[in-house]
Amino acid sequence: MTLPIALDAMGGDYAPDLVIKGARRAVDELGLNVTLVGVPELMGDPLGLPVVACTEVIAMDDEPGSSVRKKKDSSLVRCAELVRDGHASAMVSAGNTGATMASALLRMGRLPGVIRPCIATPIPNPDRAPSTMVDAGANAECTPEMLVQFAQLAAAFAGARFDIANPSVGLLSIGEESSKGTPLVKETHEMLAASGLNFFGNVEGRDLIPAPVDVIVTDGFTGNVALKTLEGAFKFIFSLVMGAIDTNDETRQAGKALYPYLIPAANNLTPEHQGGAMLLGLNGLCVISHGSSNDTAIMNALRVASEMHAAGVVEKMRLAIRPDQS
Amino acid sequence: MSDVSNAAFDRAAILTIVTNELAQILETSPDEIIEDVPFADLGADSLALIELVEAIEEVLSAQVAGFHIDDEDLENLVCVRDAVDYVVAKLPNA
Repeated sequence: MTLPIALDAMGGDYAPDLVIKGARRAVDELGLNVTLVGVPELMGDPLGLPVVACTEVIAMDDEPGSSVRKKKDSSLVRCAELVRDGHASAMVSAGNTGATMASALLRMGRLPGVIRPCIATPIPNPDRAPSTMVDAGANAECTPEMLVQFAQLAAAFAGARFDIANPSVGLLSIGEESSKGTPLVKETHEMLAASGLNFFGNVEGRDLIPAPVDVIVTDGFTGNVALKTLEGAFKFIFSLVMGAIDTNDETRQAGKALYPYLIPAANNLTPEHQGGAMLLGLNGLCVISHGSSNDTAIMNALRVASEMHAAGVVEKMRLAIRPDQS
Repeated sequence: MSDVSNAAFDRAAILTIVTNELAQILETSPDEIIEDVPFADLGADSLALIELVEAIEEVLSAQVAGFHIDDEDLENLVCVRDAVDYVVAKLPNA
């Protein structure tokens, strides 16, 4: 039996019910080994899954750093400790994103040489593996050295997770030319070009989907804005299409023929089916699922965590930052 | 982690501990840590400061049982000098 994945049963808008249901589905439908971490009195029926009991919950609006220090027996902190202590292969939470990151950072620690951990988010492509965007929001202010390291971590992640040989890396900017962008972008461009990574050059916002590269690197502020812009645009376009289909009897009839193709395509774009964001650069695996995760999203987040563990993502990132330690 | 097994808890020793721990967190040389430069300007964000606080507590707890830095006091610690002064004032025999 493989090590279980530690799931924060208390985290997320629909916790604990749909979180536990997602865990049960991951066990039944995917054959995964999952341990719930939560407060027994608040969890309800664990649906036959093993439970590591704790006494506290970090709320969605708790301040990340101090809540991790104050609530040492919270489900989030205990999840991170299970990974740190070798009792779980990964942790998954749909709870407070900042506190999830703080718990994972403070308990698992950074990989040697890593300046700051970053959040990686898959951006779907129509005909190949998703591209990986880093940083999707962990570090609002960055240095060129940090961005180069994010690119190294994400390239190692994409290589292991999606089986891509020598992943290509693009730098998000406002023009393809190396002279375009802020001083941070221009300096990072120079460093990436000399980094030994498969550097493609700059990519623009319009190139995010589908992306011409396997990895898109940017600072956490820009990355988060770009990601939320994409999410909003997807929702708007989807509502436009659905509105058009609902125009009259003729279009509604056409819709019946289109739905079997439209719905799976739309599903491919939702966070629910992407499995959440990954925290890169830590000495352990952490998947951050969307706060509004339902049971399907939780099941997919657990699947991603399992696949990352099987692919040896942490070890690949360790070697990417410190190749001399192979 | 800093070795304090033989260190007396004078200000210089605390400065060394804080500087070394922060340098380790920021993946930089202790020489780059200037006492009066704000943490933010050294590249330390709020999570890095929490890392620093936990590291200091762990090092000093080996010598002073239960040594703890209050979260409520963190907002007053702007630079290394503030942190060192705070720790020195909290230690019983500094």
